[in-house]
Amino acid sequence: MSNIEIDAPGTTQLLLGNEAIARGALEAGIGFATAYPGTPSSEIMATLAPIAKKMGIYAEWSINEMVAFEAASAASLSNIRALSSMKANGVNVITDFLVNLQMTGIKKGLVLVVCDDPGGMTSSNEQDTRPIAKWLNIPLLEPSTAQECKDMTKWAFELSEELGMVCMVRSVTYLSHTRGNVRFGRLPEETKKAHFADFYDIDDPQQSKYTCGMQFHPYKQSEVLLKRFSKAQGHCEGSPFNSYNGPNTPDLIIFTSGICWTYATEAVKILNLQDRVGIVKLGTTWPLPEEFVTRHLERSNKVLFIEEISPLVEQSVMELAASLPADRPRPTFYGKRSGHVRAWGEQDLNLVIQSIATVMGTSYRSRQSSNAEYQSTLKEVAKTLPARPLTFCPGCAHRASFWAIKIALQLDGRNGFVTGDIGCTAMGMISPGSFQVRTYYAMGGGVGIANGFGHLNQFGFSQPVIAVCGDSTFFHASIPGLINGVWNKSNFTLTILDNSATAMTGFQPHPGTGITATGETGKKVSIEAICRSLGVSVQVCDPFDLTDTVNTLLKVMRNEGNATVVILRRECELVRARRERKKPYKMYVDSSRCIGEECGCNRICTRVFSCPGLVWDRDAGKAVIDEAVCEGCGLCAEVCPQGAILKEAL
Amino acid sequence: MMDNASKELYEEVIESGLCTLCGGCTGFCPYFVIHEGRIVRLHQCKITGGQCYQYCPRTPTDMNAISRHIFGIPYGEYEIGIAKEVFLARSTDPEIHQKAQDGGVVTSLLSVALTEGMIDGAVETKLDDEKVPHGFIARNREELLECARVSYEPSPVLEAINHLPKENSEKFGFVGLPCHVASLSKMKVSPPTNRANIENVKLAIGLFCGWTLSHGFHQFLQERFNLSKAIKFDIPHHPAHSFDVYTKSETQSVDLDEITPFINKACSYCIDMTAEFADISVGSGRTMFKGWNTVIIRTKAGAEMLEVAKSRRAIETQPIPAESLKNLKRASLSKKKRSLQNIISMTGGVDDLLYLGISQNLISKLLE
Repeated sequence: MSNIEIDAPGTTQLLLGNEAIARGALEAGIGFATAYPGTPSSEIMATLAPIAKKMGIYAEWSINEMVAFEAASAASLSNIRALSSMKANGVNVITDFLVNLQMTGIKKGLVLVVCDDPGGMTSSNEQDTRPIAKWLNIPLLEPSTAQECKDMTKWAFELSEELGMVCMVRSVTYLSHTRGNVRFGRLPEETKKAHFADFYDIDDPQQSKYTCGMQFHPYKQSEVLLKRFSKAQGHCEGSPFNSYNGPNTPDLIIFTSGICWTYATEAVKILNLQDRVGIVKLGTTWPLPEEFVTRHLERSNKVLFIEEISPLVEQSVMELAASLPADRPRPTFYGKRSGHVRAWGEQDLNLVIQSIATVMGTSYRSRQSSNAEYQSTLKEVAKTLPARPLTFCPGCAHRASFWAIKIALQLDGRNGFVTGDIGCTAMGMISPGSFQVRTYYAMGGGVGIANGFGHLNQFGFSQPVIAVCGDSTFFHASIPGLINGVWNKSNFTLTILDNSATAMTGFQPHPGTGITATGETGKKVSIEAICRSLGVSVQVCDPFDLTDTVNTLLKVMRNEGNATVVILRRECELVRARRERKKPYKMYVDSSRCIGEECGCNRICTRVFSCPGLVWDRDAGKAVIDEAVCEGCGLCAEVCPQGAILKEAL
Repeated sequence: MMDNASKELYEEVIESGLCTLCGGCTGFCPYFVIHEGRIVRLHQCKITGGQCYQYCPRTPTDMNAISRHIFGIPYGEYEIGIAKEVFLARSTDPEIHQKAQDGGVVTSLLSVALTEGMIDGAVETKLDDEKVPHGFIARNREELLECARVSYEPSPVLEAINHLPKENSEKFGFVGLPCHVASLSKMKVSPPTNRANIENVKLAIGLFCGWTLSHGFHQFLQERFNLSKAIKFDIPHHPAHSFDVYTKSETQSVDLDEITPFINKACSYCIDMTAEFADISVGSGRTMFKGWNTVIIRTKAGAEMLEVAKSRRAIETQPIPAESLKNLKRASLSKKKRSLQNIISMTGGVDDLLYLGISQNLISKLLE
């Protein structure tokens, strides 16, 4: 972990983009920080939380993004600068509140940091959050480097305060998770005093600025919002984060922002087109600095837009160009609309080189792609690399849970299925989860969609429905779905795979763990107490007791006409292993009993059960334990039909 | 066909409604299990040439090969199969008599075989507390008596054999329905290599069978009766028309017409009423000889068993009246003809008889 809290102006540190954002917030003098874990955003809170106390900041992992952002807003309305960070999906969760907060405006700087995931490497989709900023008139800043992550976050607080509205800083995976040099600025030394002012002006209630005082005439507030936002234009116009680099009259001018600016800069250099191609770097992508953009549009009759996911800059600049007087030059636009830039996924250097080369009509072949020897070596090497599909960790309780769910559904025989949710449990879709998850949308979506399936019986639907969520997902968004199901007597089983950790994003605590972000003891919230309070049948099983779990699931699936809850509880193996630092069992294979590929087994352990700790010895034709990987959980001993896998308590 | 395995077994037998729930495919591998009257395929197995397919009594079965293996001659139409001797018999042991379904011959024979060391255990069907049948290996007289009653539900008897570890070298007697004996016979014709030696099954006793009751029958019973109190199930012969459930204190009956919808459809494609590949086949003495068994001795091993049992005075016998034998043969032949017709109406012609591998000559004869 980097030492981001030192007060040493002028010194330089190598920081992750997310750490730089945290440092920027410190330099802006925040007093309040909230977040819900979500890759690639999690390191921001993970950086702030351990130093929060020392820096006089309140920091929390919240139950979900909505509460996180709402809580941060309270600080802002009470004269304390506040930061709320989340991944792209989280912005969908806060949108309702955000729309309304825009109507009232804020007081002290409130910055929403969103880390998008182009390519959706660790997300359910590759949503671009920037259009939300445009849609809701939120000033949007896009850093390109670690230094800018810090500087723009700090500036975002100033801008937010100046305009009286929330500001958005948008990063992406590549930026958040890459280290770069960051030159530190000064840490402010001011005493913070929180007070919720202007709550109610007895002489002029219409002036009750920070509440929804105008709620009966929302259209009036829209006018106020637009006025407030129009001031943002001026601030963006003069911002040093917008710049141009290139010849005075280039053959091609590139408009780009964020991480794509680094690709474009490098691509132009590699193509040796510095004399012919200029680059406009936009740090403030919304609102567009219109004069700045117009000035540079006139430099060339060819314009190329390089950005990831949505064509936000492309569309905004084209809108602006369309509004210019008829006598102004009309360049040709190249980008996603014209098909010159890939419209989905992450950009990378090669893609950007191809886009520029195509528009410029130059041919480009990378040294790598034109080198036959390199290409053939690459193919040879690729052959030797084992496939590395996503999997549950060795010892993971979810593997046992999905194994039991699969067996229960097969035994039940009514074509039952699993509605899945976000988190580690999502891997129920693929091999390690026995391919059981059939729907997978959003946090809380598993139980939500199960509500509907569970009411289709009048149309002849008779399939059992098992909704699955993790413990953190339960708290985040599954509770309303469960209550709805209980209330309306929907027919499903909510199975909570409780591994007592927000495991997918890095073991952040949640209400069930009772530990707070800053490591203090909070109040522990019991999942079964919540469920039981609804008057619903709640069973708790250890998924490693496969027989009991299967029988319990079989029984509750027959409980037709009611929502039921099964909690499959076993601590995340990584958390247990870290704490106990020893394996529960030594596992080994009695090779005389292993019949492996023969009929009667067909390698059920390594082919179907497929725990990474079990490997197939091709030469011997037997299963073996990979002791470096095996966590010694003992589950595979239950699965081996020949009793060839043995466990010895340690 | 030699490459067929779990997928083909599932499609050709289980999904096609030919499965007799004998347990031939369960117990040996982790892919098939029996659960509440269904064979369930839990996971995908990618093996080719699976033993599940090979030993299923409803996958292609060369009846001639089995007959040659057991009797030394091809399979012919003998109404009740090859019979050295047919007679009536009953146990001389009052306790066995009281606990057995009919004459107690099966329990007596196995009891003698155990006592004499001819076998170490008997592979049988045992009903659990809820009267669900399971395969079970009885290794003493008490356990034999626990297996003396029938339930009319199919029992995965073969699962008990399939469960045996490879190194097991005990000798066994075996009691099963015709489908169980057919599967066992297929194992004997081409013995499995990676499990317990099938030649250790020294004596196969087959029970006469018209059909079994499955697919929801157990739930039907559960809803009507307190099964944990039941001690015997019976379908008394004509003119009675009922299914009787005995408890210690009373007998409750349901009309047979309520039961017949639960008859396993697969049984209507079976041509074997008397377990023709067994060493000894045993049925009830029917109404005329209540408390007696009809017994068919088919093989040398069967004849030897009979001699030992007689010499130990474990059973008493009497000749079967000609009329009764005629009725038995007529019933058996009628099932063959009916089932063959059912097979033909399922496949649409004599060119495809599903699992049944019998000679053209025999087909023509049965279709007369």
